[in-house]
Amino acid sequence: MANLTFIIFCPLVAAGVIALLPRTFNVLFRLLALGATGLSLLGALRVFLALEPGAAGLQFEQQVPWIPALGISYHVGVDGLNAGLLLMGALVAFAAVCVSREITARQQVYYVLLLLMTGGILGAFVAFDLFLFYVFHELALVPTFLLIGLWGRGEERTFASFQITLYLSLGALVALAGLIALYVQAGAGTFNLPELTRHLAAQPLPVRVQTWVFGLLLFGFGVLVALWPFHTWAPAGYAAAPTAAAMLHAGVIKKFGLYGLIRVALPLLPEGAEAWVTLLAWLALGNILYCGLVAMRQRDLHRLIGNSSVAHMGFAFLGIASLSVVGVTGAVVVMVAHGLLAALSFAVSGYLHQHLRTVNLDQLGGLLRAMPFLGGVMVMAMFAGCGLPGFANFPGEALTLFGAWPNHRLVVILAAWGALVVAAVYMLRAVRALWHGPLPERWGEAQDARGAWVRLPYALLLGALVVFGCAPRLLTDPLRPVVVRLLAPPAGADATAAGLAGGATAPGRLAGLPAAGAGKVGR
Amino acid sequence: MNPHLPWVVLLAPAVAAVAITLTALRRPAAAARWSIGAILVSFLASWGLFQGGASGRTGLVWLELPGLRVEFGLAVDGLSALMLLVVTGVGSAIHIYSWGYLRGDPGLPRYFAGLSLFSFAMLGIVLATNLLQLFVFWELVGVSSYLLIGFWHERPAAADAAKQAFLTNRVGDFGFLLGILLVWSVLGTLDLEELRARLAAAPAAWGEVATAAGLLLFCGAVGKSAQFPLHVWLPDAMEGPTPVSALIHAATMVAAGVYLLCRVFFLLDATALEVIAWTGGGTALLAALLALQQNDIKRILAYSTLSQLGYMVMAVGLSGGGHPTPAMYHLVTHAGFKALLFLGAGAVIHALHHEQDIWKMGGLARKLPVTFWTFLAGTLALCGLPPLSGFFSKDAILALAWERGQYALFALGVGVAALTAFYMFRLLLVAFTGPAKSQALDHAHEAPPVMTGPLLVLTVPTVLAGFWGVDRWLARHYGVAREAGHGWGAHLFEPFAHAPAAAWGGLAAAVFGLAVAWRWYGRALRDPLPGLLGAPARWLRERLYFDELYAALIAGTQEALAGVVAAVDRWVLAAGLVRGTAGAIELAGRLLRQVQTGNVQTYALWLAAGAVVVLGWTLTR
Repeated sequence: MANLTFIIFCPLVAAGVIALLPRTFNVLFRLLALGATGLSLLGALRVFLALEPGAAGLQFEQQVPWIPALGISYHVGVDGLNAGLLLMGALVAFAAVCVSREITARQQVYYVLLLLMTGGILGAFVAFDLFLFYVFHELALVPTFLLIGLWGRGEERTFASFQITLYLSLGALVALAGLIALYVQAGAGTFNLPELTRHLAAQPLPVRVQTWVFGLLLFGFGVLVALWPFHTWAPAGYAAAPTAAAMLHAGVIKKFGLYGLIRVALPLLPEGAEAWVTLLAWLALGNILYCGLVAMRQRDLHRLIGNSSVAHMGFAFLGIASLSVVGVTGAVVVMVAHGLLAALSFAVSGYLHQHLRTVNLDQLGGLLRAMPFLGGVMVMAMFAGCGLPGFANFPGEALTLFGAWPNHRLVVILAAWGALVVAAVYMLRAVRALWHGPLPERWGEAQDARGAWVRLPYALLLGALVVFGCAPRLLTDPLRPVVVRLLAPPAGADATAAGLAGGATAPGRLAGLPAAGAGKVGR
Repeated sequence: MNPHLPWVVLLAPAVAAVAITLTALRRPAAAARWSIGAILVSFLASWGLFQGGASGRTGLVWLELPGLRVEFGLAVDGLSALMLLVVTGVGSAIHIYSWGYLRGDPGLPRYFAGLSLFSFAMLGIVLATNLLQLFVFWELVGVSSYLLIGFWHERPAAADAAKQAFLTNRVGDFGFLLGILLVWSVLGTLDLEELRARLAAAPAAWGEVATAAGLLLFCGAVGKSAQFPLHVWLPDAMEGPTPVSALIHAATMVAAGVYLLCRVFFLLDATALEVIAWTGGGTALLAALLALQQNDIKRILAYSTLSQLGYMVMAVGLSGGGHPTPAMYHLVTHAGFKALLFLGAGAVIHALHHEQDIWKMGGLARKLPVTFWTFLAGTLALCGLPPLSGFFSKDAILALAWERGQYALFALGVGVAALTAFYMFRLLLVAFTGPAKSQALDHAHEAPPVMTGPLLVLTVPTVLAGFWGVDRWLARHYGVAREAGHGWGAHLFEPFAHAPAAAWGGLAAAVFGLAVAWRWYGRALRDPLPGLLGAPARWLRERLYFDELYAALIAGTQEALAGVVAAVDRWVLAAGLVRGTAGAIELAGRLLRQVQTGNVQTYALWLAAGAVVVLGWTLTR
């Protein structure tokens, strides 16, 4: 089962099977979807556990030529960077299928779309061919639009679906332009990432070219991740999306942009990155502080979670902007943590929406008494969201702040305010409004999640958050060598890189420390 | 040192918290057994460490990246061993008391899970080996405090108080985190032992940022120990169950700030210490004044806690060049007698069915004899009357101020001592010995043994802790040998010989405060102070309007900013740019559609218009 192709194609094959079944086999659709995503989850877990942290190069690698004329191949593999993301994606996908019980209309099409999305998600994380990466990304993205349009909720869903489609298509196109530019400029005639890396390490692109290609990738991928000020699609889109789509999109698909930046843009265009990081750090602050403040004003739980999710993306951007091992590692930890957290939060808010028909904070209150299990889960999710230790978000956010401190001090100070105070304000206000206080009579009959199967997705997501929060080395130990490799300036380009960085010399860059810390630390 | 013992101390409450959450949320008795058993195990293990005079460290690597290595370590030394004993000792008494106090409450398992989580977090702070680990447990302490203040979450006041406490602490933590980042970026490590070594090696680099870093770290202590200006959350935190107030908001968690300052004492430079001393002194005075006009028994105690914490922080600030023994000494004795006072207040509240206004009490001394006598012991200790424990530790602080030539702070300390005796005896006289002021008192009866037992146990340190040589233990930890006194009598008179100004000054102040309280409140049915003071009494009762001021300040800044930003997001980014772009394209489409209507007349019109334009253009050239 520890075979990447098996993991990717389990949901895709299941989607094909469901499409061929008669329309009325609703129970079977659900079982097939659960089985397929469950198998993928087990496979991803085995891959994660079997990963050798120190090994150079890819593991579980498979490569088959696809379009040889353009140098395109089916090339998948994992290393420390994407193993955790793959596991997170598979877990969220399984949880998303679990909570899809709420869907009663057109289940066949729904599960086909959901499984296609899952296949795309899992494939994009393990693809080591830029073209394949893009194909899988689109395979995951397109069903999102349909899911929002067809099974969405709320009055604004048409506009939200329209906006998210346009925005993300635009972002994806700009990113595609960047990837093609990279392919053309490199002149290696291959989309294969390891080959491209080798090629560009030997013959780096001119700084000017690197700069504009990095810009294309940054803004293309940035739009996909809701980089400020291109973020407005996200809260509106998630508010309108059906629960499973919001979980998968906010949790997983939004991470592709970040993954692309870390996997492709940083190592292939290191000097281009230098030119953009200051701007990126400030835009990241826009996410953290601005969207945090916007979240403070929301009265709709979906929008509050949506804005907080956008705010959390700021930490990942800040980690990337640090260009240090500590910061980039933190960014990946944030990606995993946020994926689990966003999925968990949207799962609970979706449950509330389905059972109470509203998620307006002004109308709710005192629900902890009626729904102790979900309330407990949600309160813990909110704690995780305001960066409380014990949950995976804390090591992630702390590492990004540590990593970015030497080069972006002012940004870090303001970001820390956003992380510690603003986030706590909106999270605790939401807890106060939703769960605390007297229980209004009309919600006296509210049903808590009962039964092991109903509780399973919440327990799995929360459990994963706690496990990675208490033992972050599960993620960071495999990550460290990969990130060091990705950030190491290619041989021969050291002098220019050091010159450009303006004092941030190569070892300092790696360690994330200007002076004292660059030495050996630890006993 | 047995390397397993500190892990037992730390993890026993964690195991209990997890076990209760997973298995015993509907079984109060099982939850109580888990929680009480765990804290007793921790206490015994701590006792073992303390008795063995153990010191050493053990740990795992929690994070390891280039330039950033964070250990999850446990360090046992004189300071932490003593603190462990305080936390688990006082904690054990309070855990047992809780079982009586909250019997029958449907949320009891949740309560015990929270209490165990708190114990785990607090012990983590005590044992931490590095700054980030301290921060982790610092936050966990904050969240367990939030959960316990908001234990009765259906009461809006409790839910609001919990939220406010957490947010105020977060403001302090913001500074703490920045301090950690600054220390790390200058000295390159987070480990406390290594920091000490590197500081000695590179004093020059540290000198530039020492004051800033010290004050930022102090921010954390300001939040947790509720020092001015972040003192507002502690009195409101009294919305939690009384045993929680005793354990968290009197004896241990709020003392964590002082403990932190003692841990990072070597990082604090003279300027930072000056600020710390005055912040502490100011808080001591402010809180003592605010306590004068409170009528809620728990709030009076809360302000007295603030005031005593102010003493401790002031003592840290005065210890520059030496070691903060007096601060820790007062922390230890205060933990005992303040926990006793709160549990006594809890016994009163329990007996009166949740009546907390002292002006509806009176005559309780006869109804609740055990509570009264133990409460009296606590009060005398708090006022600093010999031979009780509070006398020795407060005297050490006053003597320190005198010794350092800080006469202003010395005078402030003596003044606060007088105020303390005054408001504490106001409480005692009105609630316990004065005439009964309501009918409900007739049915009051003494608490069950499960509650009076802890009161009696806590009376022991309250009375005797001054003779146990806590200060010598601490001095030895800091490498200063001090010989033991010869016998109890000699020990009792030693302060009067050693620093007579401090000992006599403190004693006279306490007696003066006591006498005035006796004069005004001995038989009072109503509070005479508002009549005597006029408007200032009202200001004090309204807590000098700090809450209103902060509410206005926050509304004027962060809330206003959030409002503006949300409006920008909605109307400029979402509506203007996004919808605007979409709208502009659509408008262009609509306009262009007019060109191609399929209507021959329209085409003819366009043709004619075009001809006119072309004609006009050629003619005017």
